[in-house]
Amino acid sequence: MTRTDCKPSWLRTGAALLLGTAIVAARPALADGTPAGTAIDNTAVVSFELGGTTITQSSNTVTLTVDERLDVAIVAQSPQVLVAPGETDRSLLFTVTNTGNGSEVFTFLMDSSLPGDDFNPTPAVPAIYFDTDGSGDFSGGDVAYTPGGNDPLLAPDESVNVLVVNDMPGGFPNGSTGLSQLTVTAATGSGAAGDNFPGQGDGGVDAVVGASGAAASASGEYVIADVQVTVQKSVAVLDPFGGNEPVPGATLTYSVTVEVTNGGTATNAAVRDAVPASTTFVPGSIELNAVALSDATDGDAGELDTSGAPTVVVRLGDLTQAAGIQTVTFQVTIN
Amino acid sequence: MKTLLNAVLVLAAIAGATHAHAQQGHLNVTTIVQKEEVVVDENGQQSTRLVAAAKVVPGDQVVYTVTFANVSDEAADNIVITNPLPAEMTYVEGSAFGPGAEIEFSADGGKSFAAREKLTVPDEQGGQRQARAEDYTHIRWVMREQVRAGSQGVAQFRARLN
Repeated sequence: MTRTDCKPSWLRTGAALLLGTAIVAARPALADGTPAGTAIDNTAVVSFELGGTTITQSSNTVTLTVDERLDVAIVAQSPQVLVAPGETDRSLLFTVTNTGNGSEVFTFLMDSSLPGDDFNPTPAVPAIYFDTDGSGDFSGGDVAYTPGGNDPLLAPDESVNVLVVNDMPGGFPNGSTGLSQLTVTAATGSGAAGDNFPGQGDGGVDAVVGASGAAASASGEYVIADVQVTVQKSVAVLDPFGGNEPVPGATLTYSVTVEVTNGGTATNAAVRDAVPASTTFVPGSIELNAVALSDATDGDAGELDTSGAPTVVVRLGDLTQAAGIQTVTFQVTIN
Repeated sequence: MKTLLNAVLVLAAIAGATHAHAQQGHLNVTTIVQKEEVVVDENGQQSTRLVAAAKVVPGDQVVYTVTFANVSDEAADNIVITNPLPAEMTYVEGSAFGPGAEIEFSADGGKSFAAREKLTVPDEQGGQRQARAEDYTHIRWVMREQVRAGSQGVAQFRARLN
């Protein structure tokens, strides 16, 4: 028997429990650009006949110098983060990419006093960190950003992951939102597309503001969810020979437990668990707290949803800590 | 020949650019490079004009113009102007211009040329497909008629910096 423990996860009230949800990071736009400082020569060649003699002649050479285009893109990798009231040091992850054609230093500013939300998160001190350990979350190894001290130098197309860290106020109900924004600006200068900073580009070429204005902002949202739900999934194997080997014909009994571990209420909680590939659902095997549920979509709390990939669905209703651990089990056989 | 001369006059009007030294010989051959600049007059009317280009950023479009003048005392026959497309640039589809010339493209570094619709390159499946603007490596202008002593001609195209 193997046992896989999931970390406790914060769940927004009213949200269904989703098992096996993958988070796919958004891709930042990539620059396409001839490097700043490149010299582009062009010479035409003309051939002709004069009095029966073929002559080839070149034109003068014209040279274009490629200026540095200042451009930057920012993507919120965690557009929405669930938090508890009063929680401290909760982070939002952003990816900043140099979409210009030269190496450029960038500076950061954050703002948690934005309109359009229910509360203002309180910026931690300091509030901007590099995701030094690559965890995607604020943790001990992350280096704080110091304006003018460790402004990152990014090569064309290079990215850096940056965290904005805030504390949450208390006293806001479930579903309340608080926005926090990170702004990145090219150190050489920003402004309207086409603005020129003579001689300030790579190698002394001009630096020219690109379409992004050489600055970009993105915001992420904290959502108050004062219910903490712990989900665990385990599987027991019984092979046709009475052993525990996962061989064809073996029966797998999956067990999913859901527990509210604080004072909140998870409304309309539900378990959705897809039948694994290369297995076959055992009809009539769904149970909730050791009580059998039919496979059909009918009056009881669960069914095998076959509208897409076969998925076991069990509705738990409004869950509180008082309800105790809810256990859903079902069986499949290995094909 | 009359149309050719007219075109050169038009070109002279837009070519207020850095006039680099032409190569001396039987034909004076001059290349200039320009880019469009938007000008707004007192009435707020926008118009574009070509100005000399020396600096560009990725995405900019430039206009290359080659002029040739027959400064010998004989007619020049079989004139062919060949212009490599800089590696950092992509030809702007439909922009090649040359009065009295057949315009052809190369996608193999100037080894072979063909008209736009006849030029092919190998595709990913081992066959051939029609070449696209980003495949072009050279453009050439093959003059249909001779250019008399004292006459001029022009070849022009646009390209975008990658």
